[in-house]
Amino acid sequence: MDESKKIGRRDFVRGAAAFALAGGTWAAVGTKAEGTVWQLDPNKCTQCGRCATHCVLNPSAVKCMNQFNICGYCDLCFAYLHPGSRERNTGAENLLCPTAAIERKFIEDPYYEYKINEDNCIGCAKCVEACLVFGNGSFYLQVRQDVCINCNECSIAKACPSNAWSKVPASKPYMFITGETPPGQK
Amino acid sequence: MKETVTTAKHPWLVGICVVVVTAAYFVLLARSRHPDPGPNLLYDTAEFAQADNVESSFQETGRLTPTVEAPKALAAGPDGTVYVGGKDCVQVLDPSGAEVKRIAVNGSPTCMTLTPEGALLLGMKNRVAQLNVGDASVTEWPELDARAYITSIAVHGEDVYVGDAGNRVVLRFSRDGTLKGRIGETDPQRDIPGLLAPSPYLDVAVNPDGTLWVANPGRLGLESYRENGDLITSWYKPSMKLDGFSGCCNPAHIAFRDDGKLVTCEKGLVRVKIYDVTSGTYEELVAGSSLFPRAQSVRDLAVDARGRILVLDPKFNAVRVFEHKDDENDRTHQPA
Repeated sequence: MDESKKIGRRDFVRGAAAFALAGGTWAAVGTKAEGTVWQLDPNKCTQCGRCATHCVLNPSAVKCMNQFNICGYCDLCFAYLHPGSRERNTGAENLLCPTAAIERKFIEDPYYEYKINEDNCIGCAKCVEACLVFGNGSFYLQVRQDVCINCNECSIAKACPSNAWSKVPASKPYMFITGETPPGQK
Repeated sequence: MKETVTTAKHPWLVGICVVVVTAAYFVLLARSRHPDPGPNLLYDTAEFAQADNVESSFQETGRLTPTVEAPKALAAGPDGTVYVGGKDCVQVLDPSGAEVKRIAVNGSPTCMTLTPEGALLLGMKNRVAQLNVGDASVTEWPELDARAYITSIAVHGEDVYVGDAGNRVVLRFSRDGTLKGRIGETDPQRDIPGLLAPSPYLDVAVNPDGTLWVANPGRLGLESYRENGDLITSWYKPSMKLDGFSGCCNPAHIAFRDDGKLVTCEKGLVRVKIYDVTSGTYEELVAGSSLFPRAQSVRDLAVDARGRILVLDPKFNAVRVFEHKDDENDRTHQPA
């Protein structure tokens, strides 16, 4: 047997250490699964109101969105105005939202744009249901990922009666009510 | 050194306190930390649905089940034949719902009507096609612009009226497809407020005396026009009550009975009702929201030659037939 081809104890330990280091690095970086975040499917949501009350954050990380390509820009917007409101204006007594989180802006007669002030929105979904029943259904709820602290066990998901909540890839954190992909999300 | 021994004066009392506090802790822990949302955070539509919880002299007497995929358009022939348009197909049903014929078409009709000669005029997004039911031949009209979204079509004499919700206008065509005029566009000089169609619903119908009536859903009412586009009259009824039109944009569908009464169908809180069209007076409820699933829209509405009110309901994938209870009884007691 050729003595020069013998592997010494020191070489063996060095080789094993290098192999372990390379393997550990690959395991840590190379095969790391993509992160996931909590999101709710607006097509399964039943507007139960628990997104407002069951989040560990106060106010909730769930906010209302308005999908403008569905919105009718109605003057008589049922998501904005209380059904019994006497006038169609910004008077507090006419507003449906309990925190006045919907902002109404005149576009051209008789069209108005409705935007959500997310600082005020508590995710109660009153406007979502009103728009769904009496309008085009352009309002829907989504978890704002910049607010959500992504609990391991989401307390809203646990309480959701319609199983609308699931973990979604962090690269695709939002959904549209139409099933389309939001801009900037492949 | 003398040790000090402290003893409780009432050890049993301390024990009870410890047990009570511990039990209370576990009871509170077991209960949810999150209260369910109260009434201020909930939108209750039940009180609105209550408005149409009244006795109706109409009843649902049957359901015809078309087998076309995604049915959207409905028309009724003078002999009781029912036409249902769906994906790439028009299905012809006899009055009992049995299939008579199935005709392949290029596209999905969103509305259709029958000409006096028995041809079908189909509205399909931004084009109209004339389908000869006998030999299945199709004559295509020139396409409208890309923004057009045809939602209704009606024939009167030599005119064809096409409701275009995309451009918020009613187009008047000759029977060969030549554009003759535009109706309903905002014109302050002629006191025309303009049609509003926040959603893809803009229905037209011609009543038996030949007057064109157009649903203006954004204003929650109806308008009638002359052939030249002059506004004759209008009435609007935004209301959550039964005599008005609820929601942002209703009525979604209109049709006329032979006696000139207007039949309307609302979306959202689905209600089928009858009005006196000239005065806008509510007369009768045909079907209330309890008969339709929540927040659904029916696809089309028609009245057949027997006066049956036909509603194309996508939830049940059926043409639901509503008849006056007296009519049904009369027919039941007629000798065979």
